[in-house]
Order: sequence, then C-alpha cells, then structure tokens
Amino acid sequence: MKMETHKVAKLHAILWGIFSLGGMIAAFLLPVMIYMTAIAYPFGLWPFSRENPACPSCLTLVRDPSLLVTGHLLGALFVFVTIAGSLFHGIFRFQSALTEVGLLKYRRALEAVGYFIIFVGIIVLAYYLIAWYLNGTIT
Amino acid sequence: MAENKHYPELRKRLTPGWWTANRHYAMYMVREWTSLFVALYSLIFIYGLSLWATGSRADFLNFLKNPAVIGFSLVALVFTMYHAATWFYLLGAVAPVKIGRSKTKPWQALILNLILLVIVSYLAIWLVVLR
Repeated sequence: MKMETHKVAKLHAILWGIFSLGGMIAAFLLPVMIYMTAIAYPFGLWPFSRENPACPSCLTLVRDPSLLVTGHLLGALFVFVTIAGSLFHGIFRFQSALTEVGLLKYRRALEAVGYFIIFVGIIVLAYYLIAWYLNGTIT
Repeated sequence: MAENKHYPELRKRLTPGWWTANRHYAMYMVREWTSLFVALYSLIFIYGLSLWATGSRADFLNFLKNPAVIGFSLVALVFTMYHAATWFYLLGAVAPVKIGRSKTKPWQALILNLILLVIVSYLAIWLVVLR
C-alpha cells in the first residue's frame, strides 16, 4: 500500500514537473509562434515579407509558415516542443480548473479525457514531423 | 482514508461560484481559463498540419489565412500573453533570488522575463525563419 502511494506520488511529481515545463514553454515560445502563424503571415508582415524595391512602401510576401516545419530540423523541433508543451500544459491546467468550478466529482473522467487528448495530439504531431523528416520534406 | 482526515481536500468544500467572491479569486480563475486557449491553439495547429499531411501545403497555408482561425488566434495571443505575464510574476513570487541582504520582487522577475521573452522570440524567428 505504501509502495503504491509512493508510486502515485512519484507519477504526480513527474506530471506536475511536465506541467511546469509546459508553462514555461507556453510563456516563452507560444506567443512568437502565434505571432508568426496568425499575424505575420496572414497580414504579410516581417519575417515573412520584405520591402519591394519597385515600391518601397509595399511589403512582398517572400516566405510562409511552412518554413517552420520544412526549413530546418530545428524548426520542426521548435514546432514540436512549443505545440506539445503548450498542449500538455493547457489541457492539464484546464481540467484542473474544471474541478474547481463544481466538477470535482467528475475528476477521473476529466483526467481520462484530458490525458487522451494530450496523448493523441502529441502522437499525431510527432507522427507527421517524423514522417516528413523521413521522406525528406524536413531537411 | 486516514490521510484524507488529516489533509482534507479544500476543493470539496468549494461551491461552483466561489471564485466570484472577490477580484483576487476572479483573476485567479481567469488565469486558469487562459489555458483553454493555449490548448485549443495547439489542437488547431495540429489540425492545420493534418490538412497538409493529407492534402497539400496550400491547404495548410489557406487554413492559416481563414478569418475564423486568425480571429481565434488573436484572442489566443492575448490570453497567452496574459498567461506569460502572470507566469513570470508567479516565478518571482515563488522563487525570489537573494541578492546580498535583499530578495528580488515579483515585478522585477516580470520585467526581466518580459525582456527575455522579446529576446527569445527574436532568436526563435532568426533560427527558424531567417537563418
């Protein structure tokens, strides 16, 4: 029984450790990721555009966010760390928040759904990136 | 069972609306709910990659230009920045650094980490896109 409690405590410590790491990743890396995919690219801003020599006030789109994945192995790693870390942190924290607003009796179900989403999300992300690496899409 | 008696779980005593009791609790709950946007953005991005994997690169790029995706992402960016600011402040409160006889304040950690955020963001762009 004591051994079991110790194992559960150890697992909890690991999960909370990953949660904290995900919090740091979401704080430091997610804002720039959202900027690049949701502001810079759709609105044609730096770093995906540059000045057009023929029209100095115009910006021309010269790159796109697929570079994040295909440009360099480091880019794919950046995408994986940012998205996987943020997903773990976000889901873990949100299901914990739900238990604080009257859903505590559904904690087990919330945890099951939460970990399922995290697991599937990270596996799918890793699968795409590894597949693109193996077929040469990621250089 | 005995452990539960010694360490009663406070959450069991909370009513669903306990966090509306004062501004401090409400801000705490807002901070916790920012995580929903962090998680949803991650899932939406994975979905975008799946469009590329099962279709073409253009599908992924068109998805990023979808007004609904842009709108949600902008809201997610605001909440992510709020998460970042509160996370940095919390770091300063939980782990203050001792310098001589004094300890650093949470707002100092906030400012330092916001400067670090700008540097890290530029480095990430340089490393991933510009290099």
